[in-house]
Amino acid sequence: MLRLAALIQNEAMKLWLKKRFLVIVLILLILIPVFTYAQHKMVKNNREHFADWRNQTLQQIADIENTLSSDRIPEEWKKGRRIAVQQLRYYLEHDINPSEPSGVQFTREFLGNAITLFIPMLVLAIGSDIVSGERTAGTIKMLLTRPVRRWKILLAKLLALTLYVSLTIAVTVILCYLISGFVFGYGGFGAPVLTGFRLQGGTVDAQAVHAIPQWRFLLMQAGLCWFASMIVAILGLMVSVLVRSTAASMVTMMAAIIAGSILSSMSSTWTSAKYLFSVNLKLTGYLDGSPPPIEGMTLPFSVAVLSVWGAASLAVSFRVFTKGDILN
Amino acid sequence: MNSRLAWYLIAVCSVIATVLWLTGLGITAMDILVPASASEAGGTEETRTAPVATPLEQAEEIRLLALGDSLTKGTGDETGQGYVHRLAEGLKSRYGKPVSMLGNLAVNGMTATELSERLEQDEIVQNTVRQANLIVFSIGGNDLFLSARAKWNGRQLKAVSVDELTGDLEEAAGRFRSITSRLHALNPNATVVYMGLYNPFFDIDELRDASLKIQLWNKQAYGALHEFPLMRMAPTFDLFEDRIIERLSSDHFHPNGDGYEKIASRMLDAL
Repeated sequence: MLRLAALIQNEAMKLWLKKRFLVIVLILLILIPVFTYAQHKMVKNNREHFADWRNQTLQQIADIENTLSSDRIPEEWKKGRRIAVQQLRYYLEHDINPSEPSGVQFTREFLGNAITLFIPMLVLAIGSDIVSGERTAGTIKMLLTRPVRRWKILLAKLLALTLYVSLTIAVTVILCYLISGFVFGYGGFGAPVLTGFRLQGGTVDAQAVHAIPQWRFLLMQAGLCWFASMIVAILGLMVSVLVRSTAASMVTMMAAIIAGSILSSMSSTWTSAKYLFSVNLKLTGYLDGSPPPIEGMTLPFSVAVLSVWGAASLAVSFRVFTKGDILN
Repeated sequence: MNSRLAWYLIAVCSVIATVLWLTGLGITAMDILVPASASEAGGTEETRTAPVATPLEQAEEIRLLALGDSLTKGTGDETGQGYVHRLAEGLKSRYGKPVSMLGNLAVNGMTATELSERLEQDEIVQNTVRQANLIVFSIGGNDLFLSARAKWNGRQLKAVSVDELTGDLEEAAGRFRSITSRLHALNPNATVVYMGLYNPFFDIDELRDASLKIQLWNKQAYGALHEFPLMRMAPTFDLFEDRIIERLSSDHFHPNGDGYEKIASRMLDAL
């Protein structure tokens, strides 16, 4: 047990010394102010044109309804917009502002948008060469000639990676809150957010809709974000075990993730795409009730699909890593 | 030692973070699995009363609300402003006070039936009507011209007879009456301006006579508006008769920017 802790420490410090985490913090420090500024512009524009968020929301509904009356819009998109109209009306009826600007609200929006591409990329930046990097550098022989079982080494790598995934999400949330709060104010923890929209075909079943405080919503989002990132990290680990070169393992994973985000934006009629892992990454969408990429997908479904992918790639990683020959 | 300290820091922070995110996952699972105890979905029930009415000259600000169909939406205007924004600009410079848009809730293709239903049933729209002190609207075009427009798109307009074109004038006029009385019931203190209809097919010989039917509609509409002292009608039929090409957009139905400009100035004159 102690041995394992020492191994984790070793792996974690190796990752730390690569300074990738520092790069991530830097990226966040540059990007978050940019997004904050964009959001600030939007809020200012809305304030100029609308006396009240209710008018703004009503106008938003009217605008969506106008796109609905156009024959040029495909029926599938219309379905999504009808759902959006029903949700906005629900917010109005309950007198809840769907997007009261605040630091917490910004963080919530950011996490919701970052879960499919941005955070997985950050996670991959840290971990996608965790094994292949050792091969490229030749240190793998050093590592494997120690009197430690191979599966323990891989487990230590996985656990160290887990720590960094948690840290990445924590840093994202904290930086988002601190930076955007400077502009929008540090409040908004208690603001109500509606969740539990059930989508049935083109309509919203409002039976299970309930309001939760925003901090709780944020925590739920971060939890889902963590889960999705862990799956990406585990898949990255597998690719890193299988592929020899660092660059190749990075590119493979990125291609898979980007392909998923393209596929899900195509509102595809190819329904079996829902078993691909990267189509299922947008877990936070289920919380705010945005329509899933493919009809019939639910949160438990996506979590199950991701879990299967994760378990399978863990099995492959451990099998190959413990049994494979190490050649240079 | 430095590296040891770093490790402890990383370890503690990341373990705390991991526990936190796992908690988040747990809460999500609870939220999904345990059916929501129909907790009253928040929101303070603040009653928003209608602001005290004053004529536009004396009001501190003009709160403008636009309702109706594509003519109010501004369809066909290459600048996207429609008559509503042009009117708001005109009011701003005339009265020198702020004009706040409560919204342009017009939807392309809206009929008198749909608008009257909305005013009857939609509480949110009703609330907005109560806040306004100036309401502009256009309606009826889709009730009268729907079949003609469909045929125009199919390029067989010649086949449209004038009678068919004007559809159920009587029924639509009844709807119009219920719209005006509903507006009055919701907000008796707002100034209301209705945009009269014009004949977009004036230049087509077979359909020139549609103008007569449109005047019939305008007359009915005027009768309904006349019942309420704060309701006005801005006639538009004369703006387009000889200037179809100049003032209508390429769909031969909606005004272009120039046409909307003329409509806005008519409305401004009516106020």
